[in-house]
Amino acid sequence: MSQDIPRIGRPFVRPDAASKAAGAEKYAADHYGEGLLWAGAKRAGVAHGRIRAVDIGAAAALPGVVAVLTGRDVPGTNRQGIVHKDQPVLCDDVVRHCGDPVALVLAEDRLVLRKALDLIRLGIEPLPGVFGIDEALLPDAPLVHEGSPNGNILLQAALRKGDAEAALRSSPVVVEGIFEVPFISHAFLETENGVAWQEADGRLVLVVSTQAPFRDRWEIGHALGIPMDRIRIIGPYLGGGFGGKDGATVQCLLALAALHAGGRPVKMWWPREESFLAGYKRHAARMHYRIGASENGELQALDCRLSYDTGAYAHLGGEVMALGMEHASGPYRIPHTRIEGVCVYTNNPIGGAMRGFGVAQVSFAVERMMDRMAARLGIDPLALRRKNALEQGDTNGCCVRLTQSTGIRACLETLQKHPLWRGREAWKAAAGPFKKRGVGMAALWNAMGYGRGLPDSAIAKVELTREGAIRVYNGVSDMGQGNTSALFQIAGEILRQPETRIEGVQPDTERTYPSGSAAAGRTTYTYGNALIQACEELRRRILGWAALMLFADTLDDLELLPERVRYAKAKKEVSLRDIAAMMRDEARVCISQFIMPVAADAPDTGKEFVIGFPHLLFSHAAHLALVEVDELTGAVEVKRYLAATEAGRVLNPQTFEQQVEGAVAQGIGYALSEAVRLEKGRILTPDFATYIIPGALDVPEIVSIAVEAPEATGPFGLKGVGEVGMNGPLPAIANAVSDACGIEPNHAPLTGEKVLALIQGKGAASHAE
Amino acid sequence: MRSEVVEIRFVLNGKETQVSTAPDRRVVDLLREDLGLTGTKEGCGSGECGACAVLVNGESRLSCLMLAAQLDGKALTTIEGAPEDGRLQALQEAFVRCGAVQCGFCSPGMIIAAADLLGARPDTGREAIREGLSGNLCRCTGYAKIVDAVQAAFEKLQGGPTP
Amino acid sequence: MREVFSPESLEALWPLLEAPSWALLAGGTDLLVKMRAGRSDPAAFICLERIAELRGVREGETDLWIGACTSHAELICHPLVERHLPVLHQALRTLGSPLIRRMGTLGGNICTASPAGDTLPPLYVLDAVLELRSQSGMRRVPIGEFITGPGRTGLEQGEILAGVRVEKPGGRQVHHFEKVGQRKAMAIGVASMAALLRLSVDGEIFSARFAWGSVGPTVMTCAPAEALLAGKRPSRGVFEQAAAVAMAAVAPIDDVRASAEYRRRVSGNLLLRLFPEGSTLT
Repeated sequence: MSQDIPRIGRPFVRPDAASKAAGAEKYAADHYGEGLLWAGAKRAGVAHGRIRAVDIGAAAALPGVVAVLTGRDVPGTNRQGIVHKDQPVLCDDVVRHCGDPVALVLAEDRLVLRKALDLIRLGIEPLPGVFGIDEALLPDAPLVHEGSPNGNILLQAALRKGDAEAALRSSPVVVEGIFEVPFISHAFLETENGVAWQEADGRLVLVVSTQAPFRDRWEIGHALGIPMDRIRIIGPYLGGGFGGKDGATVQCLLALAALHAGGRPVKMWWPREESFLAGYKRHAARMHYRIGASENGELQALDCRLSYDTGAYAHLGGEVMALGMEHASGPYRIPHTRIEGVCVYTNNPIGGAMRGFGVAQVSFAVERMMDRMAARLGIDPLALRRKNALEQGDTNGCCVRLTQSTGIRACLETLQKHPLWRGREAWKAAAGPFKKRGVGMAALWNAMGYGRGLPDSAIAKVELTREGAIRVYNGVSDMGQGNTSALFQIAGEILRQPETRIEGVQPDTERTYPSGSAAAGRTTYTYGNALIQACEELRRRILGWAALMLFADTLDDLELLPERVRYAKAKKEVSLRDIAAMMRDEARVCISQFIMPVAADAPDTGKEFVIGFPHLLFSHAAHLALVEVDELTGAVEVKRYLAATEAGRVLNPQTFEQQVEGAVAQGIGYALSEAVRLEKGRILTPDFATYIIPGALDVPEIVSIAVEAPEATGPFGLKGVGEVGMNGPLPAIANAVSDACGIEPNHAPLTGEKVLALIQGKGAASHAE
Repeated sequence: MRSEVVEIRFVLNGKETQVSTAPDRRVVDLLREDLGLTGTKEGCGSGECGACAVLVNGESRLSCLMLAAQLDGKALTTIEGAPEDGRLQALQEAFVRCGAVQCGFCSPGMIIAAADLLGARPDTGREAIREGLSGNLCRCTGYAKIVDAVQAAFEKLQGGPTP
Repeated sequence: MREVFSPESLEALWPLLEAPSWALLAGGTDLLVKMRAGRSDPAAFICLERIAELRGVREGETDLWIGACTSHAELICHPLVERHLPVLHQALRTLGSPLIRRMGTLGGNICTASPAGDTLPPLYVLDAVLELRSQSGMRRVPIGEFITGPGRTGLEQGEILAGVRVEKPGGRQVHHFEKVGQRKAMAIGVASMAALLRLSVDGEIFSARFAWGSVGPTVMTCAPAEALLAGKRPSRGVFEQAAAVAMAAVAPIDDVRASAEYRRRVSGNLLLRLFPEGSTLT
C-alpha cells in the first residue's frame, strides 16, 4: 500500500496484488466453514437420452451421505438461463449433453462424496443425438429440445447493407473461403465453485466465483422459486473468468444443496475434469465467406454465412452469434454486405460466453480473407487493410455510423512504422535449417457493452467512512482484469486520497449495487463512469461540510488533500475524520447510476436481435505475428508478437498491457493447440494433459503499444480493452503460416499435424502438375 | 471405513509442527483444510498446472501429488512462509511491482517455483526462466511480466539495482 | 484411507513387497495421477524415497550406475550424466516440467513403461541394463526385454527396479534426442526419437542406434535403418533412405493427440534432423 495518491494515467500497482502474491487473498475456493458439507453432481454421461430411473438407494445409504437429491426435489421452475430459461438445475426428463446434471449429493467429505456419486445408477435410455451443425439442420434431425418450433435452430438472422449479390457479381475480384473453429474451454485456474448456507431466518448466503452476482440471484430465484431478497451473493476476486463464470454454474445446485443442509455450509468445487466436462465453452463455428473488391483494392461486397454450434442449451448463443455477425465485416468500409447467421442446438457441450464473444471466430475468417484478397490483387496485406480501414464518421458493415473514437487506422499505422514490420524480409530470410519463417497480421475490432435492448448500467457507491477514509463499493466482479485498480485511481484522482486511505469492497448483493456482469469489456467503463459521478458528488459534499466547519463562504477556496480539507486563506484545516463525525450516516454515502450510451442509429436490419445489437463503442487493434514453421514436424512457433491496441485513453499502463499480453496468450492457444475434442458429444480432452493451453515456453515476448484515441463518453476517456486482443493471434498466426509455407490454414487449431498435412498436400499438388 | 491416523512431525514455515492425519491425505488438502493455509491453491489435482507448488527441504514439490506421510521429518515451506524467507519475499515484492499478478490464482505456485529456480547457480536469462516456470500454468498474464518479476527479484537478491 | 509404508532400507522393504495389492510409490507423478483417473486402486503405498541405496549416480571404469529413485531433476544437473549420457540429458530436459522432474524418478519412468516415456528411447540406444533386486538377490535385464508392452514390465512379485547400468559411450559420437509434443513443456510426446551415432576417425558412421517413443506399444527400434547407415559416410540421401525404412517399421496408433499417419511421417522426418543441410521434405 502506498502513500501516493493513485492518479489516472500514472503507474499504479493494483491494490489486490500484494495480498494475492502473499496467498492471503481469499477466493471463493478458499472459503470453508464449520461443519462443512461437500456437494457434487452426478452427470448424465450420455449425450442425449430419456431418464428412466435414478437409483440413489446405495448412495443415500452410504455413511457420511447427508442427502441425495434429484429433479423432483427442485422447487420452483427447475430452469436456469440468462436469456432463455431452458437449462434444468437437475434434469427430470431428458438429458441433452453428457455433462447434464441428474442428481446432487451432499456428503461429509470429498471421499464419501466421490464414492456416493459412483454408487448412483442412472437408467438413461439413449436417444439419437445430433453432433454437428449440418446434422442438426437436416429436416428429420432429432430435436435437442422436443417441441421446439424452430427445430434445432436457436436463432437465425440476416444483416443486409446495400445489395451484396449484385455487388459481388460486378466485382472484378472475388475471393471465397470456408473456415472452422472448435469449441474452446476457458481453463481458468480456479474452477467453478462456491460455498452456500442458510441463515437462521432461512435466507440463503452464497460465496461464489462469479462474474454476475446480482444476476445470479435472479437465476437462482427463478430456478428454485425463492424471492431474490432472500438470497445474498458475495463475489470475491475470481481466479479467472473469461466468460465461463458468466451465467450460473454452481449457483443453483449450491443453493439447492444449502436448503437441505440443516444450516450447515455446503461447498461445491468442480474438479478440473468436471470443469472441462460441464463448464461452458466458446462456440464452435463454421464461416463461409465471399468478398469482392475492385482492382485497386477497395472492398465492394461481403457475403457470408455463419453457423454457430451452441450445444445443448441456449445460454448466450443468440447473443454470441449476433455479435459475431455485427463484426463479420471486420473494421473495414464495405458498401454492400449480406451476413447470414444460424445458431444451432446440438447434443454437444454448452456454448456460452467467452472473451471475444462471437468475434474471435469471425476475426479468423475475415482476416484470412483479407490476406487472400491481398495475394490475389498483388497488394501488400497491410496496404489493403489501411486502404479500407474504418474511420470515425464511417458507416460499418451493419449500417451503423461510427460516431465515437475509432482508432483502427492509427493501429495499422503503428504497425507500419515498427521495426518488426519493416525488417520482416530480412528476418524471414534468416530462417535456419528445416525452418520456414512467415509474418502475418490481423486488423481487429471488438464492441464494448451490451448493445441495445438491455441497459448497460452500473450503480456506484462511495463512502466517507467514520475514520475519514474512502470506501468504494465495487459492483462489478474483478476476475483479474483489474477494474479494482481503475476504481482506486478514479477515487484517488477525484478525492485526492492516498492508497492507504482508500478501501474497496468487492461485489456483495447486500453491500454493493447492481452493476451488470463482468463482461463485454464494460467493467471499468460503466462502473467507472458511475463512480466518477459518485466521487464528484462526495467531493462536493465533503467540501460543503468543511465549509460549514471552517466558515468558508465559497468552496473555491477549499482544497481536498490527503486526510484533510484545507482553507489556505484562513490558515485552517479540518480532518476528514472530523468531517465524517459531523455527518449522519446517510450523508457520508454517495450513490450514482450510469447507463452506457447506445447507438442512435436504428439500422433497418438485424431486427431478429432483441438484445445486443447494435453497439456504439468499439476498441481496435492491429497485430503482427512472426512465426517459424518446422518443415519436419509442422510445428508452429511464434517467435515475436506485436500488438498495437486502441481502447480510448489508458488509465493504467500496467493493467492495459496485462490485458493485451494475456489476451494474446489465450489467442495463441486458440491458434495452435486448444480444441475441445468431441466424439458423439463425449469430451475426449477433459484435463490439462489433453486440453493444451500455452505454458511459459509457448508464448513469445510480446510488444504492446498503446494507441490512444480518447473516447469522449468514457471515464477519463477510457474504453474496454479486455477482449479485442483475443481476436488477433489466430488470424495473424494463420496468415503468417500461410506466408511462410504458401498453404491455406483455415481450420483451427494449427497443430503440427494439420500444418504438415497442408505442406505435404501442397507438395503433392505441385508434383502432380 | 477405517479411520486410522498417523502422527506426522515436520517443520512448517520454520515452526515445528505435528499433525494427526490419514497418512495418504494429500498435502494440498492438509494445508488448505486442516491447517487453514489456503495460499497454496489447487488447479487440477494431477500435477499439470503447478498451482499447488510448495517447497520441501528447499525444493519445489506438487502438493497435490504428495502424501502427508511423506512430510515426516521434512521442512515444508508454503507461500505463507514468505516473511521468513528472503527469496520468497523478494519474489513477492517483484511480482507485485512488475505487474505479474492479475487474477493471482497461479501466483503462489509461480513464486514457489521461481524460488526453486533461483536456488542453485541460476540462469536468469528470460528463456531459462520460462523453462523454469514451464510447469506453472497461467491463463491471465501471458507470462511476460512474470519473467520480468523473476529477473527483478534475482537482481534485488544479488544486491543489484531495482528496476 | 490407505496406509503409507516408508522403509528406510532395502532390508525393511522386502517384507512389504509380499502384498500384491500394495503399490510402489517413487515420485508419485504417474501412480497418483492414475489413481485419480480411476485406473489404479492399490490397498496401500510403499514409498521408496527414504531408501538411500536406491539413489545416486556412481561412476565405474566403463559404466555409470544410476539409482532407480534418483529424481529427474538430480539427473539433469548431474555432471556425469551431462558428460557421458547427453542423449539422456536432452530427453530429461523435455520431460514434464521442473516440478515434475523434482518428484519423478528414472525408475518410475521405466516401470510405468508408457509408450511415451521420455527416458526410454535414450535408455534403449544406450543399451541400458536394469538391475532388479529382491530379497533373494539381483538379476540384470536389458531394458528392451524388461518392457513387454504398454504399461507392462517383467517386474516380478517381490522385486524392485534398483538401478540402471549404462556403458559410457566412447569415441566420437553424436547424441540426439527430439520430442514432438503439443506444446514445449508438460506435453506427452506425440513422437520422439533418440539417436546415438558412433563415428569412425574419418567421419564415417561406424554404428547407429535409434529408438522412437510414442509410435508403438513400446519403444520402437529399427535394425534395418541402423544397418543402412553402418559404414556409410553421412549424406542427405542415406538419411532419407533410413528415414523411409524407419517409417515402415514403427507402429503408431490414432489417439486424441495425433493420428497414426502423422506419427509415422514424423518418425522418419526426425531422422533427417541429424543431417541439417536438408531442403523441403515432400
